[in-house]
Amino acid sequence: MSRYDTQDIIYALATPWARSGLAVIRISGAGCKEALAPYFSRPAALLGAPNATMVHGSLIDEAAARIDEVVLAINTDGHGYTAEEAIEISCHGSLAVIQAILALLGRIGMRSAEAGEFTFRAFLHGRVDLTQAEAVEELVSSVSQRSRSLSLSRLEGKLRQRIDMLKDTLLTILAAVEVQLDYAEDELDEFVFPTQALTDLIASIGSLADTYQIGRLYKRGAKVVLAGSTNVGKSSLFNLLLKEERSIVSPYRGTTRDYIEADLEVGGIPIRLYDTAGLRESEDLVEQEGVVRSERLIGQADLVIHLVDSTDLGHIPEEDGRTIVVYNKSDLARIGGDKLAISAQSGEGVARLLEVVEAYLKRSIPEGGDEELVIEGERQWRLLGGAKGALLRALHLVQADAVLDVVAVELGEALSNLGELTGEVRSDDILERIFSGFCVGK
Amino acid sequence: MDYDAIVVGGGHAGIEASLALSRIGFSTLLVTQRLDTIGALSCNPAIGGLSKGNIVREIDALGGEMAHLIDHSMIQFRILNRRRGPAVQAPRAQADKFTYNRLAKETVEGQSNLALFMDTVVDLLLDEAERVYRGIITERGHTITSRVLVLTTGTFMEGKIFIGEWETSAGRLGEAAAIGLGTALRQKGFPVGRMKTGTPARVRRSSIDFSRVETQQGDAIMLPFSFDYPTIDRPMRDCYITWTNEQTHRIIGENMARSPLYGGKISGIGPRYCPSIEDKVVRFPERERHQIFIEPEGIGTEEMYLNGISSSLPEDVQAAFIHSIAGLEEAEIMRPAYAVEYDYIDPTALYPSLESKLVDGLFIAGQTNGTSGYEEAACQGLMAGINAAQKLKGEKPVVLGRHEAYIGVLIDDLVTMGTKEPYRMFTSRAEYRLNLRHDSGDVRLTKKGWEVGLQSDEHLARLEEKLRRIEAVKDLLAQHTHREKSALAALKMPEVTIEELQGVVPALGRFDEATLHQVELDVKYAGYIDRQQRQVDRFTRLEAMAIDPLFDYDSVEGLSSEGREKLKAVRPFSVGQASRINGVRNSDVAILIVHLRRGGGHV
Repeated sequence: MSRYDTQDIIYALATPWARSGLAVIRISGAGCKEALAPYFSRPAALLGAPNATMVHGSLIDEAAARIDEVVLAINTDGHGYTAEEAIEISCHGSLAVIQAILALLGRIGMRSAEAGEFTFRAFLHGRVDLTQAEAVEELVSSVSQRSRSLSLSRLEGKLRQRIDMLKDTLLTILAAVEVQLDYAEDELDEFVFPTQALTDLIASIGSLADTYQIGRLYKRGAKVVLAGSTNVGKSSLFNLLLKEERSIVSPYRGTTRDYIEADLEVGGIPIRLYDTAGLRESEDLVEQEGVVRSERLIGQADLVIHLVDSTDLGHIPEEDGRTIVVYNKSDLARIGGDKLAISAQSGEGVARLLEVVEAYLKRSIPEGGDEELVIEGERQWRLLGGAKGALLRALHLVQADAVLDVVAVELGEALSNLGELTGEVRSDDILERIFSGFCVGK
Repeated sequence: MDYDAIVVGGGHAGIEASLALSRIGFSTLLVTQRLDTIGALSCNPAIGGLSKGNIVREIDALGGEMAHLIDHSMIQFRILNRRRGPAVQAPRAQADKFTYNRLAKETVEGQSNLALFMDTVVDLLLDEAERVYRGIITERGHTITSRVLVLTTGTFMEGKIFIGEWETSAGRLGEAAAIGLGTALRQKGFPVGRMKTGTPARVRRSSIDFSRVETQQGDAIMLPFSFDYPTIDRPMRDCYITWTNEQTHRIIGENMARSPLYGGKISGIGPRYCPSIEDKVVRFPERERHQIFIEPEGIGTEEMYLNGISSSLPEDVQAAFIHSIAGLEEAEIMRPAYAVEYDYIDPTALYPSLESKLVDGLFIAGQTNGTSGYEEAACQGLMAGINAAQKLKGEKPVVLGRHEAYIGVLIDDLVTMGTKEPYRMFTSRAEYRLNLRHDSGDVRLTKKGWEVGLQSDEHLARLEEKLRRIEAVKDLLAQHTHREKSALAALKMPEVTIEELQGVVPALGRFDEATLHQVELDVKYAGYIDRQQRQVDRFTRLEAMAIDPLFDYDSVEGLSSEGREKLKAVRPFSVGQASRINGVRNSDVAILIVHLRRGGGHV
């Protein structure tokens, strides 16, 4: 935290470092309008711009040469994402323009923002709580539409609602224990520990924590590797999937000596697809190296599509949770049964293959209406895990007939883990629950 | 200057404050409306209970008086919640209220440096700017000056009693309220509000049908609250238990409109944890019965306290519902139940030293700060007395941490968050309650009592001796084998007790019960205490980041406007305290940390 200084004016490119139609550069910090005004064609318009307005004009350099035609979106102090005076520059998305503008900002005394610094300022100014701050980071780095909608639902507080619900259940259990500790035995009814409620809660927290894997999949994408012997048609399939010629497809074995990768999206999940070198013994050193790399990739893959030549079956690997076997060249030879057959030449069966791939990647997504609710941040996952662990210890203590004051320690730890996600639980909240739920007091 | 210090009020807070100041060596005057009611137990004739018993023992460790008073007036003793675990069990004793009251008065009368004077304080004498305390003005026209003042007005400041449609100005039934001071304080800008509490009826012992009630005996062995002596031997009396029934609830329900609480006559806020019987009937309609403890008020009296059915219903309704209860059919009501409403001063207007932020030299303690309970009042009186003395000595205030004492939790809660209802201590208010066991009060606090001049060198030596004994027992256990491990490791197992180990390690017989018990708890809870200790370490790091109470929050950029206002109102002593203020956000704390790290505002 101390490495950040909120006195500085910071800037950063908000859109990817790539050629595109438009790029957005963000600036935040008190005095940024005044700092930028001398380098804008309409300084008075910029200085006088009220909150949440746009100013059109040109950015100019120290020699009054025009850099680019831009639109500035203005936020005054207390507004906008960071709640600081801020400007968003929409410029043309050419790398040269982006570079020129960033260089100008650096020269006029602004500082290039560190990773997460905009969100840190938003957090410092109370614009976002920690869950929201994490979601924003994910929104920015998310690479697919699906992941974007997951990030948006976080901002709307769906995850928050869910965690609040879990917290509420836990609070009820904790209150049932605390009332036993805050009042004497003879003042209370016979106490039976709510074991069922605790068991259910552990399961709920567990299933929310389990969505982390899925969330990670949506955010970072899945690694899918095309594997198989040489000349089974991996590159043909690769190209078909990409619908563009990226790999050199030739009828000779061992053409793809190294791997080639490309991004695509299947069922909303971002996928990085790897076309690997064919797996065979070779004298060729380059090709040997290619095989080693292929094997390494296969080891890291979320899913391996093992392609088999229907006309020359050879070795067929076992299908497991990570490997599916696909029979290519279905136009040349028929494979019976429910085997997955395609023709990378004609495209036959490829739609079905994509369905299978999607189903494989999504198979751990829980059923029900909560499909959108996944946790993505590692911190959230860690805290949920911490809560679950503490509750499991509490359950064991209860089953071992341990005294309640130590059970309460574990329940309290679980509650503080959940509290770190969406806001602290104060002892007053526990007492409130006790007083509203139990008739106590002599 | 007439005195170094004046203490207003002779209740549980006033007793501790005046004794602390005079014992530390300052000439002190205790002013009270009635000398005969010094140390009166206005409500329940009992001291201690869960977390409150811990407070009594903490008061004792610091050099206060409450434990001695109850030790020599108890007529029943119990350790509550034995089965719930050592961290939350606590001693509670029924008191003979006359003996308690007499001992309290004898103690203050016997104290050197302490003068007593009967009068009612109606106003404070301040400097021209109204920022510095100078003296008090009394009803009979006396002006008495001192360097510091401890105000402990209890329920008396503008007190008003309600019984059904009837109401009167009083602090206790039959005792005049203190009129004038509340108004004077309001005019001086103090944030004064109203609170409400209640007390049940007292009935005559000889009119109770004991064949229809359960008997509740105390523990066979009485144990002292004080760490000063190992045993106590006093006459014991039983308590009794009976229950309300559907007829009782029907009578109450039919007459609810006649309650001043429901009729809107009382504006003060009452305690949720100690509801009147009317509240219980309204809020928990599904319950068929509510428990009542019938407790003796003393040895030389027939008055019995009906614990559990405080009320402000009219007397005819009280009589009707009491007579519907098993064992109380013929009960003769000697004193009716009543509600009392009184002025309190918002405690967030105090520093953690209990000194006022508005007026220099003015300390406020007890029910005046919005608390409830003898123990809560007494510990504030003690801390206000200690800190008034620190101020007289020109030394820094003593602020107990939330990890050190329930007293620390209580005062921090009050001055940081304030309270909307009469504040009572609960174990669940303490984050680190495993560390706040009643039996470890002396280990936690004796040294602090010694440092401020309330505990003698002998007390400190006694503590050090106890710590040596504890270590000796642990060494002894480590040297012996039991169940194929060291006896010390074996004691960690839930089923192994220190009694069992006495068979294996006969030398343990040389040690007293209290020491052995403490070792047993230390060892059995070591894992949890270690875990808690890590939290305590994090906590104390924030507590250690001190903030000057006069720190200029306007100079810090980036604070939320609500956070800034709250910080300016509370003026926390530390970042830790700041982080507990309602309305101060994480971001505000982060900014404060950043700011303090840059070197601004450090004390």
